[in-house]
This record gives sequence, structure tokens and C-alpha cells, in this order.
Amino acid sequence: MTALIATAEESSTPRRPAPAHRRRRLNVHRTLASVIIALIVVVQVYPLAWLFLTSVRTERDFAAGNPFALPSEVTFENYARAFETGNLWLNILNSLIVTLGANALIVLLGMMAAFALQVLGFRFSGFVRGLFLVGIIVPVQIALVPLFIDYSSIGLLDTHLSMVIPLAAFALPMSIYLFSSFYEYIPRETYEAASIDGAGPYRIFGQITFPLSTNTIVTIVLVNSIFIWNDFIFANTFVLSDGLKTIPLGLQNYIGAMGNIDWTATFAAVCITITPLLLVFLVLNKAMIYGLESGATKG
Amino acid sequence: MSSLLPNRSKTSVLVFLVPPLLLYGVAVLLPIFQSLFLSFFRWDGITDPIFIGLENYVRMFVRDDVFWISFFNTLSYLVICLVLQLGGALIVASLLISLRRARELVKTLYLLPAVISTVAIAFLFQRIYSLDPVGLLNQFLQWMGLGQLQQAWLSNVDTVLAAVSIPEGWRFTGLYMLIIYAALLAVPQELEEAARLDGATWWQVFTKIRFPYIRPVWISTTIIAATYALRGFDIPYLLTNGGPGQASELLTTYMYKTAFTHTDYGYASAISMFIVVECLIAVGLIVLLLRRKADA
Repeated sequence: MTALIATAEESSTPRRPAPAHRRRRLNVHRTLASVIIALIVVVQVYPLAWLFLTSVRTERDFAAGNPFALPSEVTFENYARAFETGNLWLNILNSLIVTLGANALIVLLGMMAAFALQVLGFRFSGFVRGLFLVGIIVPVQIALVPLFIDYSSIGLLDTHLSMVIPLAAFALPMSIYLFSSFYEYIPRETYEAASIDGAGPYRIFGQITFPLSTNTIVTIVLVNSIFIWNDFIFANTFVLSDGLKTIPLGLQNYIGAMGNIDWTATFAAVCITITPLLLVFLVLNKAMIYGLESGATKG
Repeated sequence: MSSLLPNRSKTSVLVFLVPPLLLYGVAVLLPIFQSLFLSFFRWDGITDPIFIGLENYVRMFVRDDVFWISFFNTLSYLVICLVLQLGGALIVASLLISLRRARELVKTLYLLPAVISTVAIAFLFQRIYSLDPVGLLNQFLQWMGLGQLQQAWLSNVDTVLAAVSIPEGWRFTGLYMLIIYAALLAVPQELEEAARLDGATWWQVFTKIRFPYIRPVWISTTIIAATYALRGFDIPYLLTNGGPGQASELLTTYMYKTAFTHTDYGYASAISMFIVVECLIAVGLIVLLLRRKADA
């Protein structure tokens, strides 16, 4: 898309030569735009770079003052101390479990609901669609007290499942929406042909709809992983024991315990927790950007 | 709607529909009704709940100053977030359109903060605002010759609300920029080019051509940003937990404290019902305001 428009711009320039002063003004505008963008991007990214820079400082260097200065020497001992003191590996494992579990539910249940709504069809499908739409606007805070009470009465408090359930449920509407709008484009003939061959709804779902959904699945998993991996509010409300804490909670614990004692190791701990997702994002940024765009504009 | 599979059975519809509905019902729909129900009771979670009718709502609207402080703080928080997110997004997207190279790079870099957890962001901003040891902001002020402005931004009642709102604005501006950028790409170039040749100024091109074109996307982006800001919780909770005093208390942090520190489940449910209604009203207002402008 971007490439297309960029080439269109360039090919249109020679056809309609602008007067010299106009071209110069355009160039001034372009340069000015580039400079402003560069400044904004620096403001946007510098705080993150600063986290990483500070995480490799020595303690003496950090205490010396000027926070903008480059580290006088690079040390990775902060990282060693962060791993020693914190439970970071366990936190990462818990986050993986919760992220995988919630994503599995979001994808599978999202596909099933979209299949029922879009392909099978039934009398009250409009009403059910409306019900699911409610979940896009409703703030998650509404569920905290009721779920806390329900969980404690059935003994689900302080489990992985207590985080997975609301994370999946609140992401479900968007997932159903994206799958539905994709299923609209699967041609009717595909289903007719399969029906004539005697395939029932279960086989059609498993052999046609599911395999065709791969791209939408990737989009949904990438986008939701950001929010699930970083979830704080459900984890903070429903999980108490250290053994179950996900990365945000583990990090909060670490900051609470060491934040005023071992500054540089705390910076290292923060960097450890944000690196996995940052790496995934930097490698897959095209797919993620596409997913975020489609997720938001279609909503 | 008609089925694409003529010989599907009723059972098959149920097989596909019931599991998702069950999860959604249990974790999203049921809690809405439970909250509504609980909001008519006084309950500490241990003794039996006592039915008190509308008493929680009367207390909220008539007698509770903290509720109103939190409400107006939430509105300020909303305004700061919207200005940073949507204003920043529109400016950067418009500039990015005129760029020839490095568009993908700018998009990726600008979006980076959206990938960071709120706990990490809260820590980062605590260090940015810090006075002792001197943080990035105070150091920067000193270099600019504005040393007299140096302060502990999170402890000053006049600055704390803005200080907890800015990280939230910073975090998601990249996301909204992406959406608006995608919308701006769809504006026909010939139209803008023709207007420019007719001598239209940059501002005229923007208000008469670009903005009307992206208005539908602008409305949905504003709705997403507003409802997200109204449910904003993590960063204020982690940075100041509403303090000092109630200077940065939002409805969400107040609700959370009422529920899980004071275990006043009934009153907390009344506040969370208010948050839901507030989100619905915000969506209605945005649609109304932005549509009416289109008619004028």
C-alpha cells in the first residue's frame, strides 16, 4: 500500500512539472516535516533507550548524577543480580502459560462463534451479535468484584485460570468480529460444493473454514498477546501467591523490594521483562502493525 | 440471516455457539448484572449482605466528596489523554504522509511504547519525574535554564494529575497514529493536488478535504481512545495510588480501593456501574458531536 502510493507520487511528478519556486517550497516543507518527525520519534523512543542504557551502568556511575550521560563503562552484572534476586524465570513461565491459554480460547471460541453467526446462521443471530458487541465498550473494572466473589466461592481464586478466563472473555468480541468479517469473503460456492459432497458442519469447519483462517489467527494472536502479556489488573486482583505471578506482578514485586536499594539492577529487571515482547514486535512488526490497524479500524 | 449450509442441524449451531457464549456470559455479561444487583446492598464480603435500595447511589451523588473529586480528575485525565493521543496522532500521521522515506521505520519506532507493560512504564516515569536522584525531566529543565521549575512532580498536588496522565497518552499515541495514517493514505491525491493548484492553503486542504475524508475513522478512533482513557487504571494506581491526598484519584482507582482495601463491595459496585454508564454516555456524546458538525 505504502509502496504503491510512493511510486504513484514519483511517477506523477515529471508529468506535471511544478514551477521552480513551488518545488523549492515543497522541499522546504518536506525537510521541515522530516525534522519535526525525527524530534518526535526521539522523544518517543529515548525513554526506552535510556532504560537500557541505565541498566548497563555501574552503580557508582549511576550515583554520579547526570542521567543523560552515556555509561562510562558497560557492565552486565546488574542483569545477573536481577535474575538472582527476582523470580523472573518463573514469572516469564507464568506469563507464557496465561498468554498461551488465553490465546487458545480467544482463537478457538472466536472462530466457533463466528462460524455459527456467519456460516451456519440462526434466528437470533442479530441479537447474539449485539450481545458480543457490548463487550467492546464495557470497561473491565465491572468484572473485578463479581469475579472475585465468584472465584472465592468456587475456589478458583489464585489460579492461572482466574486470569485466563476474563482476559479471554474480554478479548472475545473483537476476535469474533475479525473472524466474522473474514468469513464474509469465503465464497458461497466453497460451502455448496462441500455440502454436495456430503460434508456436515463439523467437517466443513475443520477442513475448510479453519485452514482458511490462518492469517486472521496470526493477527489476532499477535495483537492480543501484547495486552495479555502485559495485563496487570486481573493478575493483581486474582493472584496472591508468588508462584503464580506473571511478569507485570513479578516486576512490581521486584521494584517494591529492590527499587530503592539496588537501582541499576532494578533497571536491568525492567529491561528483562520488556525484552521478549520488544523482540517479537521488532521481528514481526509488519504483521503486528497490520493487525493493530485492522483490529482498530474495523472495531 | 440465511444459512450457507442448508442441511445443518440445530444441534450443530448450539455446539458452535454455546462454548463461546458461556465464557463470555460468565466473565462479561453476568458480572454486569451481579454488579447492578450488588449495588443495592451493603456488603463487606463476610457478614450477610443488607439490602439498602438506592442508598449507595444517594451516598455517591450527594454525600461523597471523594467521588466527585475522582470524577473531575477522571475528566481531566480524559482530556489530557485525548489531546496527547489524538492530537499527537493526527500531527505525526499528517507529517508522515509528506515523508518519502523511512515511513515504516517511523511507524515501528513510534509504536514501541505500546508494547511495554504498564508496570515498566510506571517505573520509567517515576524515574523521569524524580527529583532526588535527579530525573530526566528535572535535569532537562536545569539545562534549559528553568532550574526554578524543578520539583518532585508526583508529590505536588498541582502537577500530579497531569504527571500520571501523560504516560498513558504517550503509551498509545502510536496506535492511534497508525489508524489515522491508514485513513489519510486513502484520501485521493488528485483532489488535494487540484485544490493546491487552485491556491488553497495547507489549512484549507486539511479542513475541506482531508478531515472530512477521515471523519468516520476519526469518530471510531475517538471512541476507542475515550473509552480506554475512562477505564485507565494501571499507571495512576502504580505511580501514586491516587495520592497525594486525592489529587490523582480516578474513579477506577477509587472503585478499586473501595472494593479491595475497604471491602465495601456494594458501594464499589455502584461506582463501577457509574463507570459503565459514563463510558456509554461518552460514546453517545462523541457520535452526536462529531456527526452534528458534519451536518453544519
